[in-house]
Amino acid sequence: MKLLVLVLNRFFWFFPTVVGLMVITFTISHIIPADPVAFLAGDNASNEQIEALRRQLGLDQPMHIQLWRYLIDLTQGNFGNSLYTLRPISDDLSSRLPATLELTFMSVLVSAALGIPLGVISAVRRNSPLDHFLRIFTVSGLAIASFWFAILLQLLFAMDLGWTPLQGRSSGWGPEHITGFFVIDSLLTWNMEELRLSLSHMILPVMTLAYPAMATIVRFTRAGVLNAMNSNYVLYEEAMGFPRRVIIWKYVLRNALIGTVTQIGLIFGILIANAVVVEAVFDWPGLGYYAVQSILMSDYNAIMGFTFVAGVIFIIVNLIVDISHGFIDPRESR
Amino acid sequence: MEMFRFIVRKLVEDRVALLGVILIMALIIAAIAAPVFSTFPEDVADFHPKNRLLEPDSMFWFGTDRMGSDIYSRILFGARITITIAVVAIGASVLIGVPIGLVAGYYHGWFSEMLMRVSDIFLAVPQIVLAIAIAQTLGPSIENVILALSATYWPFWARLVYAETRSIQNEVFVEASIALGASPFRVMVMHVLPNISSSIIVRTTIGMGGTILTAATLGFLGLGAPAPSPEWGRMISESREFLPEAWWYATAPGIAIFLVVMGFNLLGDGLRDILDPRIRRSVHRDK
Repeated sequence: MKLLVLVLNRFFWFFPTVVGLMVITFTISHIIPADPVAFLAGDNASNEQIEALRRQLGLDQPMHIQLWRYLIDLTQGNFGNSLYTLRPISDDLSSRLPATLELTFMSVLVSAALGIPLGVISAVRRNSPLDHFLRIFTVSGLAIASFWFAILLQLLFAMDLGWTPLQGRSSGWGPEHITGFFVIDSLLTWNMEELRLSLSHMILPVMTLAYPAMATIVRFTRAGVLNAMNSNYVLYEEAMGFPRRVIIWKYVLRNALIGTVTQIGLIFGILIANAVVVEAVFDWPGLGYYAVQSILMSDYNAIMGFTFVAGVIFIIVNLIVDISHGFIDPRESR
Repeated sequence: MEMFRFIVRKLVEDRVALLGVILIMALIIAAIAAPVFSTFPEDVADFHPKNRLLEPDSMFWFGTDRMGSDIYSRILFGARITITIAVVAIGASVLIGVPIGLVAGYYHGWFSEMLMRVSDIFLAVPQIVLAIAIAQTLGPSIENVILALSATYWPFWARLVYAETRSIQNEVFVEASIALGASPFRVMVMHVLPNISSSIIVRTTIGMGGTILTAATLGFLGLGAPAPSPEWGRMISESREFLPEAWWYATAPGIAIFLVVMGFNLLGDGLRDILDPRIRRSVHRDK
């Protein structure tokens, strides 16, 4: 029952938050620039062209009417047209979304699959050489600039050793389009050559994205496990002669993972944001690459579209994290 | 003052945090004494086509860039940009966020609720994305990077101060000062703020590292200071067309960013262990 209230409460806050996000992008695009129309029209537009565009876009209306129309437009998925591809921005964004999601899902998977066990081991063998090594490893992961790390990986693995492709998502045509996720599509069509290509193209971008994410997961899992190991129930279980393996991997981990799950949710949002630079370095045709192209073209409608979509993904992820908290931690819903 | 001495003594004991202090000191010294230490101080703006893209040697310690400028000298001057952006942007975020958090935490009512909802909305967008949107709209310059970063980072302090204020507002010393007739302003500034200052200090130190990374990312994307500014992120982005031959071009600025961010993170972790015993890096209660 309490769980239901929690879920409903989170859903209730979803809509005001999204509207708030719209108000932020409206403020950035309509209020901060001295003259948004001149901004949109570009440097070479004449005064008549600017005035015509102003009327056409409805920017001669009072501010509250502009805001209202903006909200209606965004709700219907209308972000305007891109200066870079000349297509509707919503089409551009939705065709690029699978590439970014594929990259971020894979990075979350890799960082959690490596980070959680390493965090547990680091806690169990506290102050061992392995723990010290992992600490240096994780502290470095949080301090490294991902665009620089990406370039280093390219230099070493693609240019120098030639083990991985330098950039792009696939050197072939890509598998037949079903979901837009190359790995899933090539599995569905049983195209092993494409599967190999898309996985090998993913190695370096995923390494770049997963390293700082993994560092965070290791730190939080380690802290969570150390905390849980000090609980009375662990003392009790030890006294009852439970095998240490069972205590740690079954009972301690479940408690320790509560903090980690929150972090994985936050990490997912951060990965989508970091994808901007990583996609730019690896020419990965996703949302981030599109955002960087839009920056170069000063295409600010497209940038606002990207900001909005990235924000909505982040809000949805946090919603899922909050709700899954309720399921993992029964105390939350009591 | 006694508190300060306590922190310094603890920091000296914690070797890792001390390393952080040393790295930050190195950044500050590099920024202040850039003209003294740099081997070619005029290289920030000048270019020498015949020295273009030289490997590191005894003359050009970190090699030269596409303009033939000495990368080592440019890194030193770049430290000034890094430190300016970080200090001003974080300072502004603290100045905006802390009062908002204090007021929202101290008073109960629709206004507090609204302030916190607004900061939640800002936190609902990834910081780098919001900073990109603002910096792009304002145009590339150091001032605009600072503006974009302050506009995106203040909610962290508002959230933190709000939570801390709520957690101590029923303490006896707060209630006592209210009962003695202290004005709300006096209670907030003289009694609440000093008691939550340690969490603010820890958050600010760690925030510096994150802000420097975000600022470098904006520079890398071409949204920072325009050329020929020796901004570290911009230098790395310039190097890309000369890879893999000019391997040294991206190396030095990348290491500089890494060491500085590492410095703030290590000091932040150390300060948290000292100032906030509730969330220690490692739990010491051995059985």
